[in-house]
This record gives sequence, structure tokens and C-alpha cells, in this order.
Amino acid sequence: MRAFGYDIDQLVIAHVLLAVVPVLVGLLVALPLGWWAHRSRPARRVLVPLSGALYTVPSLALIVFIPVVLGTPILSPVNVGITLTVYTVALLVRSVAEALDAVPDTITTAAIAVGYRSAGLLFGVQLPLAVPVLTAGLRVASVSAFSLVTVGALVGIPSLGTLMTDGFQQDYTAMVVTGIVGSVVLAFLFDALWLALGRSLTPWTRARTGV
Amino acid sequence: MLGRLGDWFSDPTRWSGSAGIPARVLEHLGYTALAVAIAAVIALPLGALIGHTRRGGLAVVGVANGLRALPELGVLVLFVLLLGLGLLPPTLALVLLAIPPLLAGAYSGVAGADPGAVDAARGIGMREHQVLLQVEVPAAVPLVLGGLRFATLQVIATATIAAYVGLGGLGRFIIDGFSVRDFPQMLGGAVIVAVLSIVVEFVLQGLGRLVTPGPDRLRLRRHADGPPAPPVSPSPAPSSREVRP
Amino acid sequence: MIEFRDVGKRFADGTVGLESLTLTARAGEITVLVGPSGCGKTTSLRTVNRMVEITSGSVHLDGRDVAAADPAELRRGIGYVIQQAGLFPHRRVIDNVATVPVLQGLSRREARARAAEVLERVGLEAFAQRWPAQLSGGQQQRVGVARALAGDAPVLLMDEPFSAVDPVVRVELQDELLRLQADLGKTILFVTHDIDEAIRLGDRVAVMRVGGRLAQFAPPDELLAAPVDDFVAGFVGRDRGYRRLGFVPATALRLVDLPTRADANGSSGVPEEWTVLLDGAERPAAWLGPDGARHDLGSLYVTDDHDAASDGAGTLRGALDAALSSPAGRGVAVDGQGRYRGGVEADDVLALLDRGRETERSVARPGDTRR
Repeated sequence: MRAFGYDIDQLVIAHVLLAVVPVLVGLLVALPLGWWAHRSRPARRVLVPLSGALYTVPSLALIVFIPVVLGTPILSPVNVGITLTVYTVALLVRSVAEALDAVPDTITTAAIAVGYRSAGLLFGVQLPLAVPVLTAGLRVASVSAFSLVTVGALVGIPSLGTLMTDGFQQDYTAMVVTGIVGSVVLAFLFDALWLALGRSLTPWTRARTGV
Repeated sequence: MLGRLGDWFSDPTRWSGSAGIPARVLEHLGYTALAVAIAAVIALPLGALIGHTRRGGLAVVGVANGLRALPELGVLVLFVLLLGLGLLPPTLALVLLAIPPLLAGAYSGVAGADPGAVDAARGIGMREHQVLLQVEVPAAVPLVLGGLRFATLQVIATATIAAYVGLGGLGRFIIDGFSVRDFPQMLGGAVIVAVLSIVVEFVLQGLGRLVTPGPDRLRLRRHADGPPAPPVSPSPAPSSREVRP
Repeated sequence: MIEFRDVGKRFADGTVGLESLTLTARAGEITVLVGPSGCGKTTSLRTVNRMVEITSGSVHLDGRDVAAADPAELRRGIGYVIQQAGLFPHRRVIDNVATVPVLQGLSRREARARAAEVLERVGLEAFAQRWPAQLSGGQQQRVGVARALAGDAPVLLMDEPFSAVDPVVRVELQDELLRLQADLGKTILFVTHDIDEAIRLGDRVAVMRVGGRLAQFAPPDELLAAPVDDFVAGFVGRDRGYRRLGFVPATALRLVDLPTRADANGSSGVPEEWTVLLDGAERPAAWLGPDGARHDLGSLYVTDDHDAASDGAGTLRGALDAALSSPAGRGVAVDGQGRYRGGVEADDVLALLDRGRETERSVARPGDTRR
């Protein structure tokens, strides 16, 4: 599909990849870090404030830092991807730790009593029970990622944000609106996807409310 | 690169004039304060009222979540295209983006006040405005402050982007630096705005602790004045940390 | 005095909270509303201070229809205590208690002075500067009671005030309420789902059934002795016979003489039968068994303790407890100062109970019309 002289499909694909891949990578990184913060008090004392501080750094600033820190080219989409990964990790580390904390002691104790070891306990009991909290965190990270991807357009990285910057330069409102609507629709689509995924992983939560 | 960044910071012309770092910092803080203040005047009373009557709460949460999906850049650009250049259009965009977290904070804070305390307040003869002001609003303070912090940080970040549509502030260094490929200037601007965000967050956290009514404030003051008092509440149940395989 | 006259409450969704309640809570007494959940007891209580607006009938407080009063003004003249206290978490204990006097128009200073007085009365003066979150559940509940007393209202509404604390603390709070009530003589309407609490506290107890219908309204001993129907009998419980002993005065109980010995000479020889060892002040210290060993006394029967709150004092229940918990098969009776008075035999208690049941049957049956 082409509009305003742009290949919209390509922009959409770039937008989705730049938003979704970092969120998923961020989740994978946040899981062990969050588990570490859950297990170790000193780790938590470092990780939680650090992720809080990272989360406060404005996106445009972070996109500018990444090439300096990692040596990536300044115009590379990787900078946006890493920025969003950092935000996702910052947001989820605490969620993961708190979700694991929130698993009731009675359940952990019972699992240990029936013979679960550390790893089995984590993957068989604690993580599944943490899924609702994780899903909530993932949804927040995902929605803001879809909106932040557009910031990359300011440093020349293509996404639906390109329609906003170029629309601004050409004084073309319809183009800007297309970019906004597209970005919002994509955010909602993936939000619904994460929600459905989270639900399908936790059939027991629906059984409880269904009674 | 770091050396060139050092050169950029040590250039004395960076530190004076209307395009200097101090002026840009003040500008940035000014936009932020203006937008957050306007948003607070609109959102806090509205959120508190909705929380008090508990009517329309779902709509508030829905709108707040929906607005979070709005791309800040797009909103800024759209406002400027529709309303023209100048201070007003980007400020309005910033206000719009600051409203959802403030509204949600005020709403959920007031609606989340201990129902027992609210029932008791009515039961001992408080009128509705007294229930709201004396019981529900104090209970809402932590969540309102959370919303305020989030809104402020979001506005600081978005105000940086707003340099693209002609607003002053620290985003100028990044946007102008990019347009002439002056990377030290971009990086310098990024450093300043990052530091500013972290400092503001820190200050707001501290302020929050000072004005939060109740035991939190007490604990803070005790830590400041002397050794903490012995705990009076029963000791917390042993955590899962103690029953590990 | 609180009067419910044909009070009905139909909620907006059509459910009936109260059918037609007619009941009078006498001045200076504790009237308990008790029943299963959904019976409308809390709804009834909340109609008095208009936290619930009734849809038919009327509620009168000392003869005045509450519907005529301004709700906030009305509530400032009625003490209100709820489950989990509902303390204001952002106000220190003293300011929580001072809230009502401030609402009544006192200056903050006067209100605090009043609050300090009330806190002293409930023994919480040491907690005045604490935050509610720093108190245990039982302490919070006592602050809730203090807050209700601070307005000096003659009427107190208490809605399951002790339900959220553990059983031991609950009994302490009940004792304290009885002690306060002995001093203050408030008109108290008390809601609970716990029949034991109702029987312990109530001067009169209203048993309600689902739909807000009154099943029986009677003093507790009468409720235990003569439940009007199966619902009340079932609600009052299977062990009501034993619990009822707590209301039967043991004035007719014969005390027997027990062998006694001064504790100081306790070791001089093994007695032939169970012997009470007395200390220098004539207070029982222990049993000395035929085996030559000292044994625990078991629970003591207090014959004439004036503290009504002390469980079983002067009643058949206290006597039976003493007899059954003693290793000697006979209980030790003491007076209010703890001095030895004699012994009680379980057989005597049961004989008294039998005699009481016969006289009751002849009295209680004709009284069945009471509803």
C-alpha cells in the first residue's frame, strides 16, 4: 500500500518490528534480573533504583546516548530498539520481582514440601502464578513502545513517525493524522494480543471469576 | 567523542545568553511547570470528584489507557499544524499528555480510600465535602503524587521532542545538533536533559515524602532526628526467603 | 430509646432488606441484633443514623422521627463504631478521637482535651500520639469506641465492632465494653453474627432471620431457655443448655466443706483424701492429692464477685466449670478477694439445674406468644 508517496506497508512493518522485538527481548532480560532482585536484597537495592533512573531518562536523550555507549551508527534503527529494550527492562524488573514476591508463602512452602527444587519451583509454580502481573507490565511497556518508536523519526529512523515528521515539513495534516491513527491502532492490536496470550496462559484465573 | 563532549561543555559561550545551557534549562523547566500546572488544575478536581461519586470511573481508566497509546510526536505536530507556531500549541499538547496520569492518580486515590474510614466519616456526621476533603483527599495523596511525578517526567521528555516543532528548551541542542550533524552538541543536550529528569524525579520523591500525611512522614522524621522508634505493630510474617529449598 | 416502627427497606434493585421491623431498644441498655448474614441486622442499625434511608415506617430516637433531622447533625449526636474501626489513617489517634467534638463545633484544643479524657477512660492515653497503622487490631477497635464516645452521645450504634479481631482479644473488648457500659449507661444498638457475643453483651437480644424479619426478641437467658421456634433454637445452638448456666444464679447452691491445710505445712504427711492447701491469706494455692503430690486447682468458682464481666461469677456455669476442671472431682469456691469459701460438687449443680428446668417449663410455655 502506498500513500503520500510512501510505502506504508514498509513503515508499518518497521514500526511493528521496532516496537515488538525490543519488548520481547526486554521481557527475556527482565525475567532473570527480576528473579535476582526477588532473591537477593542487595541486588534489589541496586536494580530497582537503577531501573527507575533509566526509566526517567527521556527517550530522545537515550536514543542519542546509545551510539556513544555501544558504538552503533547514529542513524541505525538499533538505537531505537535498544532504547525501547532498556525501557522495557526498567519497567519489568520491578514487576517481575514484585510478582514473584506476591506468590503466597503457603504455595511456595507447599511446593517445596512436595519436593520441587529451585528451578522447578520457579518455572512450575512461581512464574505461572506471576503471569497476570507480568502481562500487565508487558502491556504497559508495549503500548508506550508503539508510541515511542515514532520519536526515532526525529533522528531519521523510519517508522510511522516518519509520516509525522515529513507531514510536518510538508504542512500535510492528513499525513500526520494517518501516522497517529496507525500507531494507535497497532498499539491496541498488540495490546489485545498480549491480553489474549496472558489469559490463555492462566485458565485458572477465569475459572475463579466464573463461579 | 567524550573528549569532544568535554570541549562542548567547557566552551564558555554555552553557559550564557538566551541559547546557553542555563537559559535552556530554565526554559525547559518553565514549559514543564506551566503544562503540569494547567493539567493539574483541570485533572485533579475532576478526578477527585469522579472518585468521590464513584461514577464514570471506568471511563476515566479507559480514557487514560487510551491516551497513553497516543504518540507524543504526532500529537505535538498535529497541534502545531492545526493551531500554528508559538508557545500555545505545544503547551496544549503537553497539557493533554499530562492529564491522564493526573486524572487516574486523583481518581484511583480518592476511590481507593479505606471504605471503612469513609463510612465512619459519614457515620460520625461529616458532610460530603468534609468526607472528600478530610478523609478521601488525604488518602489520595500518595497516588496523586505518583501521578504528578509520572506526568512531570512525561512532560519533560515530550518537551524535549517539542523542540522539533519550534519550542525552546533542552531539546534544541539535540534537534539543532542533529540538523547540522553536530554530535557533541546532541550528546551534551541529551546529558543535560537526562540529568534534569533524574534530579526532578529525586526532588519530587523527596517532596512527596514530606507532604504525605501519616506514618510515612513520621518514619522519615524519626530517621532524620534520631534513632527509629521500636516497632509497635506485630512483626511481619516470615517471608518466603526463609523457606527456600 | 430507639424505636423501629414497621420499618421497611426495599433497595433500588428491588431486593427487600427489611420487611417490617418493629422493635424498641430501651434507654441505657445494650440491645443486640443477631442473625445470619443477609438478615438485615446491619441495614436496621444503619437506618437509625440514616446511613440507610428507609422506604416505609419510621425510626424514632428518644421520641423524635430521625427522618425530620438533618442527617449530618443527627449523626453527630450518635456514636458510631464499625468493623475494623474505620480510623482515619492520616490522623493520629488523638485527632481521630477529637474528630467528632470538632464537628460538633468545639475548638481543636477543647476537642483534644475531650479526646484525651476519653482515651484515658479506655486506657489508651499512652497511644494518643500514635498513627492508627501502629496499633494492633484490638487497639484500633478500642480507638474506634473512644471516637464514638468522644461526642458524648447518649446513643451508640455498633456494627460488628469486634468481628475482625481474634477470639481472645474479642473477649477482652467485650469485657471492656461491659465495664464502660456499667459506668456510662448508654443506649447501645449492637449488631453481630456471633450468638455468643450477643448473649454475652445483650440486655436484650433480637434474633433476625433473612429478609429482615424478627424471629425472637428476649433477654439472653430466656432466648436460651425457650427459643420460640426451630430457627432460633438452631441459631442459638446445641450447647445452649450449658451456655444458659451462665445466666442462672447459683444462690441456692450448697457449699461443702473440704479438708484444708496451711500450705506452709503442706509436706507434712500424705493426706488420705484430696486436701486444699491455703496460703497465709486463706487463698487456695493447690490441691494436695492422696498421692502426696501438688495438683493444679483447676478453675475456681467465684461466689460473689461484683464484677459482672468476670465469666461465670456466681452462676451455675462457674460452679460447674470449677467442679469439672478440678482433679479432686470437687471444685474450690472462693470469694471476690480470692479467699477460700468451700467446695462445690457437680451433682449439686446438676440437681439445681433439674429443679430450675421444671419451674421454667411451667412458666415459659404460656409466654410463647412473645415475638
